[in-house]
Parts: sequence; structure tokens; C-alpha cells
Amino acid sequence: MSTDTSSQSANGAIVSAKRVRKTYLRGKEELNVLQDLDLTVHEGAFEALMGPSGSGKSTLLNLIAGLDRPTSGTIEVAGVDVGALPERARAKWRAANIGFIFQTYNMMPVLTALENVELPLLLARLSGKERRERATTALEVVGLKERMQHYPRELSGGQEQRVAIARAIVTDPRLIVADEPTGDLDRKSADDVLALLDRLNQEFNKTIIMVTHDPAAAERAKKVHHLDKGALL
Amino acid sequence: MTMVAVRNLRRNPLRTVLTIAAVMVAIIFFVTLRTVLSAWTAGADNAAKDRIGTRHKVSFIMPMPLRYVQEVRDIPGVKSAASANWFGAKDPKHDREFFATIAVKPKDFLEVYDEIDLPAEQREVWFQTKTGAIIGDSLAKKLGWKIGDKITLTGTIYPGEWEFVIAGIYTATRRSVDRATLYFNYDYLNDDPRTRQSSHDQVGWIVSRIDDPGRSAEIAKAIDSKFDERDIQTLSMSERAMNTSFIGMISAILKAVNVVSLVMLGIMALIIGNTVAMGVRERTHEYGVLRAIGFLPKHLAVFVVSESVAVSIFGGLLGVMLSYPLVEQGLGRWLEENLAGFFPFFRIAPQTIGVSLVLAAVLGVLAGALPAYSAMKLKVVDSLRRAG
Repeated sequence: MSTDTSSQSANGAIVSAKRVRKTYLRGKEELNVLQDLDLTVHEGAFEALMGPSGSGKSTLLNLIAGLDRPTSGTIEVAGVDVGALPERARAKWRAANIGFIFQTYNMMPVLTALENVELPLLLARLSGKERRERATTALEVVGLKERMQHYPRELSGGQEQRVAIARAIVTDPRLIVADEPTGDLDRKSADDVLALLDRLNQEFNKTIIMVTHDPAAAERAKKVHHLDKGALL
Repeated sequence: MTMVAVRNLRRNPLRTVLTIAAVMVAIIFFVTLRTVLSAWTAGADNAAKDRIGTRHKVSFIMPMPLRYVQEVRDIPGVKSAASANWFGAKDPKHDREFFATIAVKPKDFLEVYDEIDLPAEQREVWFQTKTGAIIGDSLAKKLGWKIGDKITLTGTIYPGEWEFVIAGIYTATRRSVDRATLYFNYDYLNDDPRTRQSSHDQVGWIVSRIDDPGRSAEIAKAIDSKFDERDIQTLSMSERAMNTSFIGMISAILKAVNVVSLVMLGIMALIIGNTVAMGVRERTHEYGVLRAIGFLPKHLAVFVVSESVAVSIFGGLLGVMLSYPLVEQGLGRWLEENLAGFFPFFRIAPQTIGVSLVLAAVLGVLAGALPAYSAMKLKVVDSLRRAG
């Protein structure tokens, strides 16, 4: 796993959001989801975003991950103004820099654990052998190497989420964004997943930003940001 | 990525199997209908270029004098000529089996129709037996007749019982020949007291061989000119033109068959399109995830279209594979045995297979195009919000 910090900003921030505003139109009504929000996340941080439903946590995470563009303001991630990138360039940037972990795992049911982890590597110029080797390593990191030929239906929820984490780290991204990673898990599996995220942060120096409602999950983060009505408290 | 798309077919095996089955059935129908078209035109395509048919100018069913045969033979450029009379008869033991019965002068007939393959010893027997008849191998097989058998047919145009001896069984070196016809000695018909008053020394049509196929129009004109001033005038044309004019009479049916065969493929495309569109709707969330991790809209299009093409090619291959036993061994054999006059050679043309597979693939692309477009247009954030 790489710990390259060459493109972080001078103050060590990997994420730097300045006066970020996000507005949606619901019919004729304007909905301000984020309002002039400023946020800085440093390289190697493990931070949580908490807040009530509709507070703008997931919207902020989507903007940081380059899935959406702010209505105004800038979001720089690893020195790149993500909102300024055109659609195609943002997709390539995401593939290279961001690892995604979702609440509902989102494995492709027709692919084995190994093939699911290989998916992001299909976009890289790698041979089949290289892809398999990297995917196997990622599965080894999450402790599921022996289950790599299993289909998602043959895995427990916790194991599926660990495969999803392997898929998120297989491209060796700078930043991992996790949207409610323990939301669908029992306590034991949730703790396993959180321990794994902790390890990725501590051992591999991965920057992690996690949206969660779970206080136990938030406790694992080194810093917790509370949002309400689109603003950081 | 194509492999991922093909794996996607496993998600809903029942739906996939039913869609592939629908494609397979559509392709079988398409192959069958295209084979009907090619079999219809086989007669014209395989017509001898050096043969001219001559009939009564008014209608096919009106007879001409026997002496016209010799007069046609005397026209410069004509090598040989033979007469033929439609007899019309049934075997009382096989009342429901239709087969053509035609009276000919054996030597003249075999000279003009040299693609009829009859062993020399059987020819001799036929030449010397007034009640002798030759039958095609498919008719012999169907009715179980063998050489030397004595058969009795009931005349439909010439009433009464007519006895024949099977003198030979012919095959053919050209696919347009009907191998389910009974040819018998014209003298037997002409000398019989039952025909003496009504049709003695009358023939139905004349077929002549010419020495230069390039002059067929000119010679046909010469034949008709010869009888221009007679009571009975003639109409002559090349065998190909004669066959084509017959096809022309049923051209509307052929066009309808053509349209139906294409409609079948259109329905097939709609079925595949619907299946793929259902898959795209169900996988909206998953496509959102793929887009999130860096896949581009074009990659989603590859997934969707590959899936659509895979279904159509699987179905197409199965359809083509099943077409052979169904069309050639089943329907084709039955048609050749029972409707040999219309379908003397009912076989799937290689180009029909090629066209079927290419069209299946093309329609697979077209069927997947619209669902692929809708997958490409999905917004990542909106897709991720939808439940998987």
C-alpha cells in the first residue's frame, strides 16, 4: 500500500473544502443542502461525519469523492479541484484516487469475491495475472483470501462488506470514503469492519472519511464532524 | 468486460432461457420462411438455359396437335423436342397422396430431360413396355413401389382404371427435377379407346432443346411464328422464363413470406430489448456503483449491448442448429415427398444461415441500444440513492 503524499497541499490537507454550497431544485423550490461549508481533512486522517438525516453528510461525501459538483465554492482533493473536472476526467480521477465503501456492499452477484475485487482494475492497463495478484493481495489484507472463489450469496454480511473494502483498496487509493459502512451489519460484524478500517488507517496510512449514524463507529474515528442543516457545527 | 456482461445472463436464468428460446424460435421461423423462398425460386434458378417450353397460346390446359412436335423439331436451332400430357390420376390405395402423372414419349423425353438419371436396362424396359412407367425415387419410397410392380391408378381427367408396370426408378442430377412424378408411355394413353374420340393425337405442351442458349428468345419467336397462321397458335418461352412467370403469379405470396420473415426478427428484437431493459432497470443502483468506482458511460453501454448480443447469438446459434433437423429432415423431407412439384429441393441454403446469424447479432445490438442509452444517461448520485 502506498503512502505517497506528494500531491497534498502545503498544510498537509488532502481534502480542502472552501465555502461549498450545494443547492438542489425540487420543483420550483430551491433546497440548500450545504451552505458555505469549510472543511479540511489531513492526509492519514480517519474522520467521521455525523448528523441527522437530511443534514447534508452524504452530499458532502459525494462532493469530496467527485461524484457530484458543488453549486459554488471549491473542493480540492489531493491538490485537484474536483468540481472543476469534466465528467469523464472526474471518473478517471475517482478510479485512481478514491476507494468507495457503501452501506449495502453492492457486490455483483454473478462474480466471485475475487472477480468483484478485480472490477476496478479492469479500468487499469494490467494483465489478467496482475489483476488477480492485486485482488488476491487486497483480499488477504481484509482476511478473506480463502473465500475468494465464493459468490456474494455464499458470504455473510460482514464478509461481503470486507470484500467491498478489498474492492475499495485494490487500486491503492489516496482516500477512502465510506457511507454508513456498518449500517447493515450486526454489532460483531460492524466491529470487525471498523477494526479493519482502523488498520487501513493506522498500518497503511489511508485517509478515511466515513459518514455514520453509529456512535460506536464514530468513536473509532480520530475526529468527528457534526453537521446540521448543511453546516458544520 | 464482455465476460462480465455474459455472466450477467446468469442473474435471472429463467428469464434468460425464455428469451433465448424466443430468439431460437424466431430464427427457426426465419430460416424456414427464407428456405421456402429459396425453394420456390430454385425451379427458376436451376432451369436449363437451353430448353424452350411451348404451349397453347390461350391456356396451358388447352391441347395442341401431336404433329406440332415434329414441326418444332424441324425449326433451325432446335436439337430435339418432346411432348407431354398432364394425365391426372390417383392410387386408390393411397387416396390422399398427390403426385403428378405425365404421359411422354420415352425416348424424346429422356433426350430433352437429360438430367433425369435412369439406368440403361430400365430405359430399355420402359421403351419396350407400352404400359411401362418410371417413377422418381422419392415417390417410390413414399408409396413403397418397386421395379416390376403392377399398379392400378384411377384417372381423374381420363376416367377409368389404368394399369401400369413400374419399369424404372429415376433420380436426378439437377435439383429442380421433381422426384415424385410418374411418367408413362404416351402411346398407352393415345391408343386407348377411352381417349380416341376426345384427345387422340393431342399433346399438352412441348419442350425442346436448342443448340445455343443465347438464341432462346429468337428460337421461341420462330416457333410461335411457324404456327401463327394456324387454327391453334402457340406461346413459347425459355424454361427459366416459364418458371419465372409461374413464380410471378405468386409473387404477392412470396413478398408476404418475405415480410413475415422480417417481422419475426423484429419481434425477436423487441423481446430481447424488453428483457435487457428490465435488467437495466433492476441494476440501476449497481450501475451507479460502477460509475462511482470509475467506469464511464461507454463501459455501461458495452455491458448492456454485450448482454443483448450474447442472448441473440446464443438464441441464433441454437435456432440454426435446430433448423437443420426440423427444416431439412422434418418439414423439408415432407415437402419434398408430398409437394415435390412446388418444393423439389427444400434445403437450407448456406447464405440463409449466414444471414440469420448476422441479423441476429445486428438485432442484438439494436435491441440493446435503447437500454444502453438509458444506462449511459443515469446520474451517479441518483443511481446510488435508488435501492438495489
